[in-house]
Order: sequence, then C-alpha cells, then structure tokens
Amino acid sequence: MDKRFSGRIWKFGDDIDTDTIIPGKRGTIPTIEEMKRYAFELLKPEFGSTVQAGDILVAGSNFGCGSSREQAATVLSYNGVRCIIAKSFARIFFRNAFNSGILLLQCDGIHEVCEGGDIVTVDVDAQTVSVNGDTFTVGAIPENLFAIVSNGGLIEDTKRRIKAGLKKTEIRPLSLEQCRKKGYTMAEKLLKRNAGKEHVEPGDIVITRPDILMIHDIYTTYLLDTMEKIGATEIDDPDRVVIVWDHCMPTAVAKNDYSHYDAGLELAKRYGITKLHVGEGICHTIMHEAKYARPGDIATATDSHTTTYGGAGNFCSGIGTAEMAAALITGELWFKVPEAVKIVLNGHLQDGVMSKDVILKILGDIKADGGQYKSLEFTGPAAHEMSMEQRFTVANMALEAGAKCGLFEADEKTAAYYGMDIKEIDWICVDEKARYEKVLTYDVSELEPQLSCPQGVDNVHPVSEVMGTKIDEVYLGSCTNGSIEDMAAAARILKGRKVAKGLRFVVVPATNAIFKEAMELGYIRTFIEAGGVICHPCCGLCCGMPYGLMTDDERILSTANRNFIGRQGTKKTLSYLCSPTVAAATAVAGVVIDPRSL
Amino acid sequence: MGKFVERLLGGPAGTVVTVEPDYIVINDGVSHSAVDEIAGVAAPERVLVIYDHDVPTGRPEAAAVLKKNLAFAERFGCQYIQAEGIGYQYMANEVVKPGEIVIGGGSHGSIFGAKGALGINVSVPELARVVETGRYSVVVPETEAVAVTGQLREGVSIMDAVLAFLAEKKELEKKAVEFYCPSLDQHQREVLCSMACITGAYTASVTEEDPKEERAFVLNLSTVEPMVMEPCESREAQKDARIHKRSSVEGLALRAGQIGGYTGGTIEELRKAAGMMEGRALARGFRLTVCPATSRDYIQAIDEGILAKFIDYGAQISAAGDHSVVVQGPGVMGPKERLITTGLYTFAGAMGCEDAEVYTGSVETVMAASACSRL
Repeated sequence: MDKRFSGRIWKFGDDIDTDTIIPGKRGTIPTIEEMKRYAFELLKPEFGSTVQAGDILVAGSNFGCGSSREQAATVLSYNGVRCIIAKSFARIFFRNAFNSGILLLQCDGIHEVCEGGDIVTVDVDAQTVSVNGDTFTVGAIPENLFAIVSNGGLIEDTKRRIKAGLKKTEIRPLSLEQCRKKGYTMAEKLLKRNAGKEHVEPGDIVITRPDILMIHDIYTTYLLDTMEKIGATEIDDPDRVVIVWDHCMPTAVAKNDYSHYDAGLELAKRYGITKLHVGEGICHTIMHEAKYARPGDIATATDSHTTTYGGAGNFCSGIGTAEMAAALITGELWFKVPEAVKIVLNGHLQDGVMSKDVILKILGDIKADGGQYKSLEFTGPAAHEMSMEQRFTVANMALEAGAKCGLFEADEKTAAYYGMDIKEIDWICVDEKARYEKVLTYDVSELEPQLSCPQGVDNVHPVSEVMGTKIDEVYLGSCTNGSIEDMAAAARILKGRKVAKGLRFVVVPATNAIFKEAMELGYIRTFIEAGGVICHPCCGLCCGMPYGLMTDDERILSTANRNFIGRQGTKKTLSYLCSPTVAAATAVAGVVIDPRSL
Repeated sequence: MGKFVERLLGGPAGTVVTVEPDYIVINDGVSHSAVDEIAGVAAPERVLVIYDHDVPTGRPEAAAVLKKNLAFAERFGCQYIQAEGIGYQYMANEVVKPGEIVIGGGSHGSIFGAKGALGINVSVPELARVVETGRYSVVVPETEAVAVTGQLREGVSIMDAVLAFLAEKKELEKKAVEFYCPSLDQHQREVLCSMACITGAYTASVTEEDPKEERAFVLNLSTVEPMVMEPCESREAQKDARIHKRSSVEGLALRAGQIGGYTGGTIEELRKAAGMMEGRALARGFRLTVCPATSRDYIQAIDEGILAKFIDYGAQISAAGDHSVVVQGPGVMGPKERLITTGLYTFAGAMGCEDAEVYTGSVETVMAASACSRL
C-alpha cells in the first residue's frame, strides 16, 4: 500500500452502526464474498453493486458503533475499501478495521467540505487529507498498525509470526502487594497486573495474556476459516478457551445456522477445546455463571457485550475473528490502556426501579459515543447496593456508550458470588488519587424508570414522557436482563394478571440454569398463565433472530440492549428498551406504563 | 340414525344438510387467507381466531398475518386466542364438548372425533363462506367402520399403528371413519382420529359399539412395527408420501430430531420420551427440539420435572405451539441435513431448506435416534 493515494468518496453521517454497515439478519451468511453485496443495503442500497476498489468512506463521528460484528469491517474490506476518514470511530470497529487491512484516519473538518463522488487524497507521512482544494491534518498512524494494513490485515501478520517461530512475550503477573499500589483506575490496575507492569497510563499499549477466551457461534465459521488461512495446527492453551452456541442455536435460520453449529464442533475437535456449551444459553451470562470470567482477571470474546463481566471487576472487552485467531494461537492480546470515567452512584433505588434504569439514564446523558474507548468505573453506595446480577446489567450496557469496559469494585458480594476471599480481590477498587478524565455523580433515589426510544439506544426518556404508547410485543430476556432476578421482578408483576389482548409476550431466560430455577420458583408458570410464550435460552430476538420478529409500524418493548433500525423486524418496526418491571407492567396494560403504578 | 356423522349433521348418508357449526376456526397457519375474503361475520361469538403456528414470529411476514388476524377479530368481535399452544389440541382439551361441530381450514380437525365432537376440514373459500353465513351445507357422507384389535408391543406407539394403517392405502376418500378401539386411551384416540384424515377421509370418530360384520377394515395392533414416513416433494404430494417399516431404513444417519404436535408434544408423549432418556446421552452433533403441544402440557411437564430432564439431556425447548412446518425459527434444518420428527409434514421445505430431508416417526423412534444420530 502506498503512503500517498487518492479515492472517490462515499459520504456518511454520524453514528453509522454496524447494523447499518451490514444488517444483523445478513450476519450469518456463510461467506463474506456472498455477504458483501448487502453492505449498507438499508441506507445506500446502491453501495454493494457500485462501490469500486480504492473508494474511500468519509463519515461523521462514532463510525462503526453498535454490535462488534467484525463482518462490518470485512465486508468493507472485501468491497475494496482501504481507507475510512471519520470524526471518530467506535472502539471494536477501530480494531477490526485495522485487522482487516483498512486504514482509519481521524479528521474533523473534511466532512463539511466534501460530497459523495468527490476525490480525496491521503498522505500518510504528511498526516494530511485533501479534497476540493482544502487540506486537513489527521492523526499519526504507528508503524506497526500501518504494517498490518499494508500486509493486508492481521491474518497475514500472524502467518509471518508463525513462520518466524512463535516467540512468546515474557509476562510475569504482579503480586497481590503490587496490585494494591494506589493511584490507579481499575482498568489500569487490571491491565498492569496481567501484563506484569509496575506502572501504566492511558494510551500505553500493553501485551496481556487473557485468562479466558470465549468464542460464540456467530463467529465459528469465520474463525475456522481464519485458522485455516493462517495454517494453525494448534492453539496456545485449549483450557483457556470456551465455545458457546447461543446466537444460532437452536438453529433458526435454515441455510446459515447449521454451519455455525458444525464449525464450533469442528473447532473443538481440531484444537482440543473441551469447555463447550451447546444451546445452554447466552454466552455472557454463562461466562460469569460458570465462573469462567473472574474478578481481577482478563477475559476476551468475539462479541461486543463482553463488557458484562466488568460487573465482577473483570477486565473484559470484545474482539473480532482475526484477533481471536491470533490470540488463540499466540495466547496474547494487545490493549491500549483506556482513559477512565468515574461514575458515582448515590442514594437508593426505589421499588420498581432497576439497575437498567440507571444505565439507560447514563446512556441518555453521555450518548452512544460518550464512553468511546473509555473505562466506565462505577462506585458509590448505590453501586454496592446492587446485586451481582444488577451490576452485570450495567456493565453489559456500558458498551452501548462505546466503552472499552464497565467496571464495578469488588466487594463482599463479589467474593461470595465467586466463592473467593475478599482479600484476594480488595485491590479492585477506585483509588482516590487515580486520574479520571471526568467524574459523573448521580443520586438514584429520585430516578424514575427510563426507556430507550426509537431508534437509538441513547434516545432515552423517563417513563412519564412515553406513558400511554401502544405496544404490540414485549420481550423479556437477553444477556442484559435475562437473569433469575429479572424473571422474578417480572413474575411479581404478572402473578395473577393477564397480558393485554393481542399483545405478544415472549420470555427467553438467559441460561438453562436460570430457566430451570425459574421453573422451580413458579415464574415460568406465571408467565404462561398470564399469556406469555417461553423460548429456550438463547440470544433470540435481541440479536435479530426469529423469536418474535415484527412487521411495519409495530412497536416492541424489550429488556434487551439495542434498538437499532431493522434489528427486531423491518426498518419500519419501532423498538423501545426498558427494565423487566416496565416490560411486565406494559405487557399487562398494552401501553407503556410506570410499574410503580401497579 | 346410527352413524356418528349422521347424528351430528342431522340426516342420513346421501342427504343434503345445513348446520350451524358451534365453532369456526381461523388460524395463522393456512386458513388466515380466508380473512382476506370475508366481508362480514354472521356469528362472531362462534368464530375463534387462533395464533398457534409461528410462535413466536419467525419473520416480519408472519407478524403481518397476526396483525391482520387481530384486526379482523377486533373489527367483528370474534374471540382471539394466543399463547395456548396448538389450537385444536387446546380446543379438544378445554373448549369443545361432545356433540358439537367444529369447522376449520386445517387438515387435522378430525381430532375432535375422539371426544365425540365432529371436526370438519374445509377449503379456504368454503371457510370464508361459513364465517360469513354462519352455516355449512354438505351431503352427509357414507361411514366406514374400522376395528382396532390387539395390543401394541413394547417400543411401538399408536403413531406407528396409524402410519401402518395409512401405508395400506385403504379407500376412505371422503368417507366418515368410525374407529372401534376399546383398548386405546383418550390420547391414543386423539392421535388416531387426527391422523385419519391423511387418508382423505371426511372426518373420523370413535364408537363404543363393536361394528361386528359392518367392519370394513381391521387394524391389528399386535403386528404393528415401528414405521417411518419418507420425505416427499411438495405439500400437495404429502398424502402420497411413502410409509414403510423403520427396519427398511435402519442405520440412516440423522442430524436432528423433533418431538411435538398431537403426536409428540402432549404430556403423555413427553412422559414416554422422558422415560427413554434414563441411561442415555444425547449424541454429540445431534440437535433435539422438544415442542410441548399446549401451554397446559408445558406447565404439566414442568410440574413433573420432565422439562428439566430434557434440558439436562441437552434438548432445546420450543414455545408451545404447532411447529410441524417452520420456515424460519427454532429447529430448522440446513442444506441436505436429515431430521426425524413426530410432525406429519415431510414435504421439501417443511422444516427449513428445500433440500433438507424430513422423516416422520414416533416419539420412541426420535428418542432412540437422539442417542446415536441414526434411525
């Protein structure tokens, strides 16, 4: 790749999410070659058929937000896109794009002075982009990242490493005493402990050795393919790897899902992976339920909501297929030490108000890109008052602010959940002297239930502003709100009541363990007697799978984590997000209501 | 008037009668297209609009059908029923009483015969007419009697017996079939009656009187062996799908199994399946889907610990409902994959890809296959 090149512009606005780049429903097409023609099919249907190799995308802020799906980057790469210029990029997309061989340039001014079809010239060494006679400065690209792009992506890069005889980075984890050293954010403490560094600061690149790596079935086909391309015959440590079949199991999309199922089994067989969960529930819930992701450790996975285990003080962030392949082979993964935002939660939540309302409120305040690349670190009495399940809900959705991770301090509840001694993990806490980019303080006592309204996770309104909106379907489930506590909160409201006539109420417990417990405690009976239907634990409608897809102009209220356009039905379906209590109360009323009024 | 169908329709065979059915059923399977043709409803209190097929919706198109059905029910004041499971099984359990007449657009309305009610399947245009007028006219059919004798052997189910009966290709087209089957329990009678219409019979019922010399056919349970129905080309060709002994395809490799419908999802069948899990393990690479027939069966299966056993076995539990034809949703099959199901549709595309192969067999057959990935 030349360091100076020109290309024709395709222009995009702000917050282009990965569902817009490649719709969720296309995400399981077995080959990228076939998938690439659907790029931007809802926004710019002509893109797939007319894009030329060397074309350059120019976008506003937060390009590539939303789902971690690596295909968003690979379909662009397969369409010949080698460069994207935007005001800012979403975190996982940033990694995925470089790893797919696409150069990302951050630039503020160009968006205002160009149109689609104009020609832009990029000069990497001079750090400039020029169009229509205007020239703008862009950030520096480190040599190693440019090399990955030049080599055509991370796969080729890893091949070279294997050929050269895989050399492991020497890492000696810190002792407990060294971990307890004050003055650091939680993200810094967790990263330096694993990387064996006495000191780190934001912006540093650290090489870590993740304690656990999780692969979910959406990515098994692509991962198998990537491992084959690299020519990997073995992986670093099969005992550190978990495979979960949850997006495509039960197999529900006929021509795709079977291949993800088969590829997962093949990966397990080929590389000796034995921690397998086939159709037992959602990966992120299993990761903490089975105690794979532990306080103080580092976890990574091929999914965006990997931030979930931050609820237990685990540093965890999602990565793409190529990175997973490289991490499986080398046992290593680089992280850029993030800036951190401290979020202090004071007061007590009212009855009927849940931790989901807290994170929705925060998302509405800081917006979908407000946590970009950052570690959101939660502290204060209301944070400690939350149960582990409630913390996982908050950490799970921190991702929707673009955060690298969402971390809670370890306390007695954390220790009890993991059967650990608090002394082992007491260092996972917010230090007074740590440097935080900013501090947000909330008194949750006055908080009313919140809803994300169509069509954006950060379009948040208090329930009082949305009350009375007619709803056609209510969905209770997902890795955000599919826990036993969530089932209990909904069941308390639905007990002895009936779902509104014609409203469809779908319940999907997050895991088999939760499903069985909900049966034993009578919650499932309550849901069925109220007029609900129960599906097997899986990602379900949350990721756009066929578990209650909607038609034009219908409204769905869901406890899931995303309401992107087209995700739960057609592009004219209207999606709302809320807590389990709001969901249950609304299912009864048929219109949005405040659960505290029941 | 001795014959069941003559009593309920109110006239001897060969005469023209007009009746006012007690229930007229429209669902989201096939019969919803009647809604497009109906201009008015004569007796809305007798019209049941049921959502029981694509549960929960697997496609936006399915949601559009529900939107249409719900708007229809609300406009005319019809009953709207959802989340109860398979409509006919729900009605047989909790709605329909002996002596009543049910008209629907499906193919298994004869299930009500097991309860002494008359279930009639009609075409979509006919269904629309019946809804509009509240009346149904027909020439009362001839009745054929079938005596069910002997006892089923271990590992053989009533479903095998009916498949064996269907394999004999008796001439029952447009006839009313009366089964004399004193040894069968209520569930077995429901399976028998619901499947009988695959012969092309007008309806089926159960009689307590031994037809003796009038018996046209005998179904001897003692000689029945496990049976399977083979894949066929299209929905239209379903009635001609080949049926033969399971032993003739012994060892055929399978990727998945499904238990559901009247023939597999009722509590009686789920109990049998649960019994067969003892000492067995689900084969790696075999996907087992369990679809309780009704919400009542679902709750009963929870209470008896059966669903928990299925979960521990590695099965996937679907929502209560009719999952015998799934375009998109849990349990679908990929290209060239082979499924054994208790569902009664084996046509190409019935359970996913056009080139997936669907076989029908009993719960015993599905459960045995689940442990070894073979028939």
